[in-house]
Amino acid sequence: MEKFRKPTRTGVPGGIFARDYNDSLKNLVLSQDLEANLQQIKAILDKCSDVIYREFVFAQNEEIRLALIYIEGLADPGQISDQIIRALSLEVPMAVPGQEITKARALEFIKQRGLCIHQLKETYKLQDIIHAILSGDTVLLVDGHAVALVNGARGWEARPLSDSETEPTVRGPRESFAETLRVNTALIRRKIKSPNLKIEALRLGEVSDTDVALVYIEGIVNEKLVTEVKSRLEKINIDAILESGYIEELIEDNPWSLFPTVNHTGKPDRLAAMLLEGRVAILVDGTPVALTVPNLFVEYLQAPEDYYQRFLFASAVRLIRFASMIISLMLPSLYIAVLSFHHELLPTPLLLGMAARREVVPFPVFFEVLITEIAFEVLREAGNHLPRPIGQGISIGAALVLGVVAVQAGFIAASTVIVVVFAGIASLVFANSAGMAFRLLRFALMVLSGTLGLVGMISGAAFIAIHMCTLRSFGVPYLSPLAPIASTDLADVVSRAPWWAMLSRPRLMTGQNQQRQGRGLKPTSPEKTSKGRR
Amino acid sequence: MLKKIAVLLLLIFLTSSLAGCWNRKEITDMAIVLGTGVDWTAEGRLRLTVQIAEPGAFAGEEAAGRGEEATNWVVSAEGKTIEEAARNLAPKVPRNIFWDHCMILVIGEEMARKGTNLVTNFFLRSREPREIMWVLVAKGEAKDFLETYSDLEKTSAQAANLLTRMRTGYSVQLWELAEMLAGKGVQPVVTRVEVKEAGVTPGPGQEMKPPVHKQVEISGVGVFKEEKLIGWLDDYETRALLWLKGEPMEGVITVPDPGEPDKEVSITIRRGSTKVVPEYDGKNLRFAVKVKMEGDMVEQQSRENLAKPEMIKVLEKEMAEEIKKRAFITLEKAQKEYGVDIFGFGDAFHRKYKKAWRELKNRWDTEFAEAEVIIEAEAYVREIGLLSKRAGTPEE
Repeated sequence: MEKFRKPTRTGVPGGIFARDYNDSLKNLVLSQDLEANLQQIKAILDKCSDVIYREFVFAQNEEIRLALIYIEGLADPGQISDQIIRALSLEVPMAVPGQEITKARALEFIKQRGLCIHQLKETYKLQDIIHAILSGDTVLLVDGHAVALVNGARGWEARPLSDSETEPTVRGPRESFAETLRVNTALIRRKIKSPNLKIEALRLGEVSDTDVALVYIEGIVNEKLVTEVKSRLEKINIDAILESGYIEELIEDNPWSLFPTVNHTGKPDRLAAMLLEGRVAILVDGTPVALTVPNLFVEYLQAPEDYYQRFLFASAVRLIRFASMIISLMLPSLYIAVLSFHHELLPTPLLLGMAARREVVPFPVFFEVLITEIAFEVLREAGNHLPRPIGQGISIGAALVLGVVAVQAGFIAASTVIVVVFAGIASLVFANSAGMAFRLLRFALMVLSGTLGLVGMISGAAFIAIHMCTLRSFGVPYLSPLAPIASTDLADVVSRAPWWAMLSRPRLMTGQNQQRQGRGLKPTSPEKTSKGRR
Repeated sequence: MLKKIAVLLLLIFLTSSLAGCWNRKEITDMAIVLGTGVDWTAEGRLRLTVQIAEPGAFAGEEAAGRGEEATNWVVSAEGKTIEEAARNLAPKVPRNIFWDHCMILVIGEEMARKGTNLVTNFFLRSREPREIMWVLVAKGEAKDFLETYSDLEKTSAQAANLLTRMRTGYSVQLWELAEMLAGKGVQPVVTRVEVKEAGVTPGPGQEMKPPVHKQVEISGVGVFKEEKLIGWLDDYETRALLWLKGEPMEGVITVPDPGEPDKEVSITIRRGSTKVVPEYDGKNLRFAVKVKMEGDMVEQQSRENLAKPEMIKVLEKEMAEEIKKRAFITLEKAQKEYGVDIFGFGDAFHRKYKKAWRELKNRWDTEFAEAEVIIEAEAYVREIGLLSKRAGTPEE
């Protein structure tokens, strides 16, 4: 576990309790005496009832005493009993019949022939030993040697890989990240089998000591970006990182903006595509979601499926996504503005129809839309947290009964329900976190259009656009390639260009190696080419 | 940063509440005017009549439960000006009168003879009414017109709106009327509407209505000299007026069958164009009008096989003659009877002889009445429909 390097901290005010504790361990090393070493470790892991100490003797030479230390539940008991205890306490004579192994040779022999464990490391520092034990490794101490052998026999109960629930796709890989960091890095490695795929390890969180991995593709990524991400990560001085959201909030560019400037995905294929466009990913142990930076707004309008489906259909779907973005942001406020200020904008039959249904409604339009919106948000939030089987029933029942009865009772006009539900559904079309921004901004726009009409609504929308123009994510303008305009990248924004036409990677993101593929990949019919040759 | 944001948010929310929804109008507080009419009363005052939609009647299926409900409410008030009359309406109407969706402006016959400028000024000047509302001249009183109801549409205003929009006759929007009034090169014509007894709808639920009730109908145009109504053109003449004006060419021309002259052949006009070439030598004014028309034969009464080039030729000739004849009738009426240029020949003259126009424009109508007009018609029959021969015609 040496490759996990402790980040160096600069200029942080002290006071986190774990720091003193870590410092006190820093200089401790093992001694040659097994008893003393065990005492020392037991003292540190005092009152940790899940730690198991297993002492036994070497099969050939009973003077050589051994001790195993591991955590029950994190280490794999099968491997420990079969490959370590059984191997060392029973099978050694069969391996080397007639040979006598001295105490001095014991460590070398155990390392070379005794242990049947795939991952083995040596350390003499107490700090590393404690970290290894707590991470699920099994530590073997040999009497007479001031060195511990760290066996990577990890094995804990983990959720199996499952279909992605938050980002389902119709076509494309189903798998999604799990909670274990190594599983996740393996999923990425399976997509990109290149030595240039770098997975740098860090440890963050003074108490939680969470493993964090920085993933990027050397040769495609902008080196400065990697340095920047690293420096931001190293500044983090927090007691625990329980989810990637902790890191997201600590490294983002605009903490006060409603718009997220760090994206996240739970799908290895999407992450691989992002890495190939020159982004950097941050994986956190215990989180089935990877963070990606820099984040562009247009990412929320692109779905991984777009790139697996035929490009014409994908382009059409993208237009629908654009439309739903606007609808989800503006439709309720447009409705309020038109119905309370600008009646002349409606065609006469529509106005008459609306007037007819509004005749019995006792509330002003603004108030009516507001309460319907709030009711919708309540339903949605409740649906998120209800147990799944109940959730569906409740949400359908609530939506149907509430909506229909409210309209029948004449509290709410049918058109209002249509507008609110349509806008609500439209906001589900594009990805989660930007959707949240729009959900909140919708209310702001509603207030503006309820007081100032279209003038208010348009100025609100302009304010949002201006704000988005000022945002940057790790040095990349948030709205690029729309603003500033990057014509070559636009093909993958307003439409989804066919693969044979997407020659270059996003210009503002990648530092080097802009070309994605060779020219002239567009398929042509074989007759044409043969005719051309003749 | 935090302070800045707080200040900004406060600024937005406080200023938006200052606005206080000053201009906000709920739909339920509005009386939506669908059509309006102006009459000149015997006492010499203006009477403004509005047809206000009864919103309850427009709610799709829900309305079924409420039973029969009136679709509109017609109310009038008098005043010296339209605005005054509108003010006098206010005490009778419990909601704000909302003009934006007014589709038609009906001018009563007496009012039209008195002068349309007394009416149009208000509607052009104020912000709410649209300039694209249809202007109609009622034969009789505008109030009677608005008080009729329609069987297919909810209100008579909507029916009139659709009738004019289909351009079965000559349709004029408010801005077009204003334009015609402003220029000297053409005198206004305005769609004429009448209230007539129309068909009966048999079936249940009809017992409540009178067996034959009054409905609106478009019938020709009213001819104006400046802003005053001076006469009428009927449907037949209006068609020729459209052809001479070069307006969208539509209509049917019926000519005698080339084979059996006592039977008829009908040709619908598909498209056409009109070219007016003025000629002026300082004294004599002459117009050469070329009407070119294409049509499809749609009906034939005889057994004659018309699907032959020579027959088509004859048909085309007859059609051209008919066009010419009808154009002449209308032209004669305009020149001799009314003495006004309703065709826009003045505009064509203006375009060609800019200097001479300055002299002539103030006495243009007299010049026009004396001008010589040569009408040439060219007609083509393009299609003869799905039958080449009348069914049952024996093989030759």
